[in-house]
Amino acid sequence: MPRILLLLPTTTYRTEAFVAAAQRMDVDVTIGSERPNALARLNPTAFLTLSFHDPQQTARQVVDFAAAHPIDAVVAVDDQVTLAAAAICQALSLPQNSVGAVLASGNKHRMRQLFQRAGVPSPGFRLCRLNDDTEALAGQLHYPSVVKPLGLSGSQGVIRVDDAPEFVRTVERLTRILQAENEKEKAESRTSLAETVSAFRLAEQGDQQLSLPSHYLVEDYVAGPEVALEGLLSRGELRVLALFDKPDPLDGPFFEETIYVTPSRLHTVVQEQIACCTSQAVRALGLSEGPIHAELRLGHDGPYVIEVNARSIGGQCSRVLSFGTGVTLEELIIAHALDGDFEPPLRERRPAGVMMIPIRRAGRLSAVHGLDEAENVTGIEQVAISTHVGQELVPLPEGSGYLGFIFAKGASAEAVEAALREAHARLDFVIEQCDSQTQPANTKLEEGRSET
Amino acid sequence: MTQEDVAITGEPITDAMCRFSVDRPVYPEKSFYFGSKEQAEGSILAERLFAIDGVRGVQISHNQVTVRKTGMDEWPVIGKQVGSAIRAFLSSGEPAVSDEVRQRILPADEIRERVQQVLDAKINPEVAQHGGVVRLIDVKDNVVYIQMGGGCQGCGQADVTLKFGIETAIRDAIPAVGDILDVTDHASGRNPYYVASAK
Repeated sequence: MPRILLLLPTTTYRTEAFVAAAQRMDVDVTIGSERPNALARLNPTAFLTLSFHDPQQTARQVVDFAAAHPIDAVVAVDDQVTLAAAAICQALSLPQNSVGAVLASGNKHRMRQLFQRAGVPSPGFRLCRLNDDTEALAGQLHYPSVVKPLGLSGSQGVIRVDDAPEFVRTVERLTRILQAENEKEKAESRTSLAETVSAFRLAEQGDQQLSLPSHYLVEDYVAGPEVALEGLLSRGELRVLALFDKPDPLDGPFFEETIYVTPSRLHTVVQEQIACCTSQAVRALGLSEGPIHAELRLGHDGPYVIEVNARSIGGQCSRVLSFGTGVTLEELIIAHALDGDFEPPLRERRPAGVMMIPIRRAGRLSAVHGLDEAENVTGIEQVAISTHVGQELVPLPEGSGYLGFIFAKGASAEAVEAALREAHARLDFVIEQCDSQTQPANTKLEEGRSET
Repeated sequence: MTQEDVAITGEPITDAMCRFSVDRPVYPEKSFYFGSKEQAEGSILAERLFAIDGVRGVQISHNQVTVRKTGMDEWPVIGKQVGSAIRAFLSSGEPAVSDEVRQRILPADEIRERVQQVLDAKINPEVAQHGGVVRLIDVKDNVVYIQMGGGCQGCGQADVTLKFGIETAIRDAIPAVGDILDVTDHASGRNPYYVASAK
């Protein structure tokens, strides 16, 4: 029986989906996580504790393990582990993305540079330092712009600015966000991506050795709707698995993800342009194998690639995707990792959608009401609350999580979108003020209204 | 009774599991889980179901037959074969679980006692280090029901702990055990050890 190594960070939303997929596929499984499982000692072939931020050490550790328990495929489930997966596969001579390509997809500056060189339509950008003279810089920019950290994900720290004073305030805010993240990394004894890059001594990636926490990008703001493309790469060839519309406008100042609906309602010509742009972007980065998740903006003159990640869709959103008559995205990813020639079945035709329930105010979750009412909305398949009562909630741009996920299917994309909105409106999250926070307690969330 | 008289309704529970409800008892007032082809030897219904490509587990409870499968074959295809197997079994007049298999099963009380020993000696001392606890809720026939508490309840790694830790330890100690079901309300966990938060 083939053995797969599933790289599952302990903070991922996707454990259940990947474990279930692996079990359905009749493969032996070893779970690699950055912190030990409570029962690791009882089943040592099933658990590996790996330092994802030291991919070289991780690769050595896995090579030693594989000498006794050969590994046929490595599957990375989230951003944090794609680099480790690439390093492991390189060491085991398994087909995967190159370390350089994964590094580029994890650094927004490097990504922009490669897109620019390859002529991939993407926003104009400027690399800045946190300790630059921000007021002087503010006078040189044109607005609106988007301030973006280089290494964070989930729209964390991404802020639109409309004028010079706002830019100065935003950089101060970003500085605090990056400092907090840096402190968190230190507390968890993690090494930064910059140190990781340095450890790899990749001369051709020299510009990545800049310290990610001390730099940021200022990008041109591209007005227009946003879409997300889910794809699978095989020897560099992109197969589009699903194209999602994001019907809620992402105009800023923060860019919280909410509703995704597939199939796209865009004209087929536009959909083809999106796929074409994504293929160009993938080639520019050098990605070649496995899942990709791309986000694009539709500007007045066509699609712009915002980013391409070497992973599948985040959160629990993959639950909304079903292929053939019931194959999950995770099964496709594992099947492809085991056999690069695997031909994925088409996504089921029925329109489907997911709503990531955003955290709109800081505090501590004390109760969730309206779950049954939300699940009773026609078309709603499931409401999954992924936060627990008592958990501290941090909204964008400082935070990056969600309260939960709502899943719907329906006869049309419009019906799916309406069901998601109706179900969300029926949910009531009671969020109490934390000692360190100053917002009012027990404020009910209102549909579509940001309280940040 | 002809085979055509038997009405069977298939209800997929997950991509990997489908429950088939039959309009008459299959294993009256009892329940049994077959976890392997070997375990099914001598029980005609389970033997026929395990002969279907991809079937990896069969639970027979009164008028329901729950089938677990691996692979990407579709339920509508497998469902027809399951229906044929159930109809053929019902017309055979054989018991759903052979006397030989029943004699091999440990009594529920003994399974309960041995599972509790595994929890006490192996599992709980380990999960306690993460503030967790695993409780035995019940054993019905050879099906074990457990509940996770403390740091395990709602933990982002609970599924991994269950499938690759708890199940493995119990099955190693008691090979005859059937399904191991987690009845925990993970959504109500107040203090999970690992919290999902990353995009």
